[in-house]
Amino acid sequence: MGLWLAIGFAAPMLTVTLLSLQAETGVFAPVSLVPSPAQFAAVLGDVYYLGILFQTLWTGLATAFLSAVLGLPLALWLASLPARWQPLGVALVLIPLLTNVVVRSIGFILFMASNGPLASLTGIDILFTRAAVIVALTQVFMPFLVMALFDALSTRDARIDEAASSLGATPTDRFWHVTLPIALPALRAGVTIVFLLSATAYVSATLIGGGKVWVIGRLVYEEALLIQNYPLASALALVLLAACLAVTWLLNVVFARMTPWLQPQERRASTAGPGVTLPPRLRRALRAVAPTVRFALLAMALFLLVGPLVFVAVNSVNDVPQATAAAWRGFTLRWYVQIFSEGSNYIDAAILSAQLAGISATCAVLVALPASFALVRRRSRAVTVAGGLYLLPLALPGIALALGVLRLLQWFYAIPPFLGLVVVHVVLVAPFTLVMLRAAVDSLDIRLEEAAASLGARPMRSFVLVVVPALAPALFASGVIAFLVSFGEVTVTAFLTTARMLTLPVRIYADVQFDVEPTVNVISVLTIVMTVLALAAVNRIVGLDRVWRR
Amino acid sequence: MTEKKPSLVTRRDFGRLALGASTIIAAPAILTRPVRAQIAPGSRLVVGIWGGAQERITRQFIAEPLMERYGVEIEYVLGGTPERRARAYQERGRPSFDVIYLNIFESRQAVKDGVTQAARDIENSDDLYELAKLGGYGVAFNAVTPVYDATMVDAPMTSWADFWRPDLAGKIAWPTYPGAQGTAALLMAARLNGGDEYNIDPGFKAVAELKPFAAFQGSQAQLYGMFDADQVAASAEFGSFTQKYADTQNPDIMVSKPSEGMPVAMNVACITEGTENQALAEAWVSLHLSEACQRAYAEEIYYGPTIKSLELPPELAAKCVYGEEDVANLIDFDWEHVIAQQGAWSSRFNREIQS
Repeated sequence: MGLWLAIGFAAPMLTVTLLSLQAETGVFAPVSLVPSPAQFAAVLGDVYYLGILFQTLWTGLATAFLSAVLGLPLALWLASLPARWQPLGVALVLIPLLTNVVVRSIGFILFMASNGPLASLTGIDILFTRAAVIVALTQVFMPFLVMALFDALSTRDARIDEAASSLGATPTDRFWHVTLPIALPALRAGVTIVFLLSATAYVSATLIGGGKVWVIGRLVYEEALLIQNYPLASALALVLLAACLAVTWLLNVVFARMTPWLQPQERRASTAGPGVTLPPRLRRALRAVAPTVRFALLAMALFLLVGPLVFVAVNSVNDVPQATAAAWRGFTLRWYVQIFSEGSNYIDAAILSAQLAGISATCAVLVALPASFALVRRRSRAVTVAGGLYLLPLALPGIALALGVLRLLQWFYAIPPFLGLVVVHVVLVAPFTLVMLRAAVDSLDIRLEEAAASLGARPMRSFVLVVVPALAPALFASGVIAFLVSFGEVTVTAFLTTARMLTLPVRIYADVQFDVEPTVNVISVLTIVMTVLALAAVNRIVGLDRVWRR
Repeated sequence: MTEKKPSLVTRRDFGRLALGASTIIAAPAILTRPVRAQIAPGSRLVVGIWGGAQERITRQFIAEPLMERYGVEIEYVLGGTPERRARAYQERGRPSFDVIYLNIFESRQAVKDGVTQAARDIENSDDLYELAKLGGYGVAFNAVTPVYDATMVDAPMTSWADFWRPDLAGKIAWPTYPGAQGTAALLMAARLNGGDEYNIDPGFKAVAELKPFAAFQGSQAQLYGMFDADQVAASAEFGSFTQKYADTQNPDIMVSKPSEGMPVAMNVACITEGTENQALAEAWVSLHLSEACQRAYAEEIYYGPTIKSLELPPELAAKCVYGEEDVANLIDFDWEHVIAQQGAWSSRFNREIQS
């Protein structure tokens, strides 16, 4: 476990740190061991960089907030679906994660263009602004939050709702006083993930922002790869990292205030429940509009998830040579034919990506499970710090990790290429599994294990028969998320791929560097179809509905 | 190709051993002359190139003939130029690539930095235009030129100065800097206003006057998306592929031939310094310079041939950079100076233009 972190993260991270402390910025300048604060001074002493840092954090927070507002109704809807439809619902939520970022962005641009559906329906023209970037980031990162919530909501005891109803609580009351408090730990996990992901993302900002929206990640990319000024790029990345961790810590404090019942007894400020008491009239008004609001938010969330991707499906059979087409030209299957005829390239790459994602996700879950128990059950300072360390890869822009890996390429060449990819991918996906499993373990009733122990079950037996079944939905959800993150990773992987180890996203990335051909739409459609089929098959074999409805 | 196999040593002749030894002790790469050797069957050539049409054409006209003729393996590492270049720089002297493709200014700098080799006499290379012998082997001419949507402007664009016309105000997608298109556009703006690459100030001032921009575009694919969504009216872009795009997808788009001329851009095949497959790498480049391959590039994506002997039909020739006159009219810059300024100009561009 420590070894993974050492090879995949600590070494590149140390490299980045060392680089950030260089005074000489030339690409072939010898690395000095005498630390120099020059780069940090350049970043922190410059209003321009600080302004972009502030905007980056604001983009992340706004995305996290919007994701929470839209994701809650969506997760509630997903949890209320009949069990047999749930895999389909999950697939629907995961769709944005299954489409390449470039393809997704083209969909958004056409969707939000001044002559597109959004502007003509609502008059809102926000393309090439930060608001558009926030909406686009919400679309792709909201699934992380929804999956975290879905796990919490579908494992909640239905009798609690019944009890609340029997005491006269309306559905609106139940949401505010029962469901939401139960979901808060998961919401914390989801909000943290979405914040970190959107604060470190830069491709969407570049594409949807029309080049006008700056985030630190984009500066890091430009300084590192275009200018080859590694020291400045490293310093920028580390400043972002520190700022992200500070915001994450603040989020934790806020959520801890909101969930006093989860804090150790001695730290509770008061025994009063959470929330503000609203005046009765406002409460009545809230009750009246709540169902409509919930429905409207759900509709918006679904529209946002699926809307831009309708375009992908339509354009995959559109008879135009480039994927950016706004108009329908005629039906053709030739892009599908092209994938399958010359496409053993794509199929090989897809198989490699699936293998890589499967192994990485499994390793990540196995690493994160014991770690999350340690984090929840042993509340020592050292463990808290270790938990923070695990989040580091999330708070560092992928491009910075890529930079560290790039400087250590010769070192990575010494291990078999596939192993090298697995190592890096586990580091990249483990934080997701950890955050989600931690929330699940947090809400695990320790009395179940105590009961098992009192009945004579040994720890191993109680783990297999009590803990694992109770965590099954979370294990599944975090595994799926880990799989998809690994399956779509391109920033770091682009440097580690060799001719024989070319993953699907890196291949697509290479193609769209020159020209976005409609075959990328076909790949997205096929990936979505395969995922739906895979989830349906898993459902058939192991019965996901039983996993969720024990 | 990720690791050096010790067993290969037995197959090397003395000259190549000397080459290997000199790279190990990090002798200045310029002193080590690559040694010609025979192409051994079973050797593996690693080529770093863009995906899409370029991959398809080179597979058909270079990779397949080489595999057939010599019984060798060709491996593609596909990706964008920045990633490829960054990797090649990190691997200087111990390359995992044998041939990489770069843009014009990056290629000359890479030779200077000892990452890739300068052009030598190889098969078909004597037919190259002089311009295409710098920084490696130029394989395709591209020129950066104003492109526009005819339905969104009042009159055709015939000059770089047209960007400053009132009917284009607020409708321009300016190309980001650094990047081939952004660099060319900035340099042209400087030239129009009495500056040049040594006096870039007038360029920055002139471009700043164009604010606010509708958007900034970082690649041709991104620009076409903006054109398709009717978000922008004009930009500076490679004329070649934009013409293809206009022909096949968006007939509103026009590629101008500005009176001041067009800055050159060029795809360059670069053989890495320290490659273990010198002969095979040269054979690869020779085939890229063959008439068949150059013709395919011109026909499929309107890339201008860099060899003088290729005959193109007039209607195709009109759409490419083609012939002595066209090539002579391309505007070349002191790219070494330009790239030395990249950090400073980029910082300035971000703060003064792109904000």
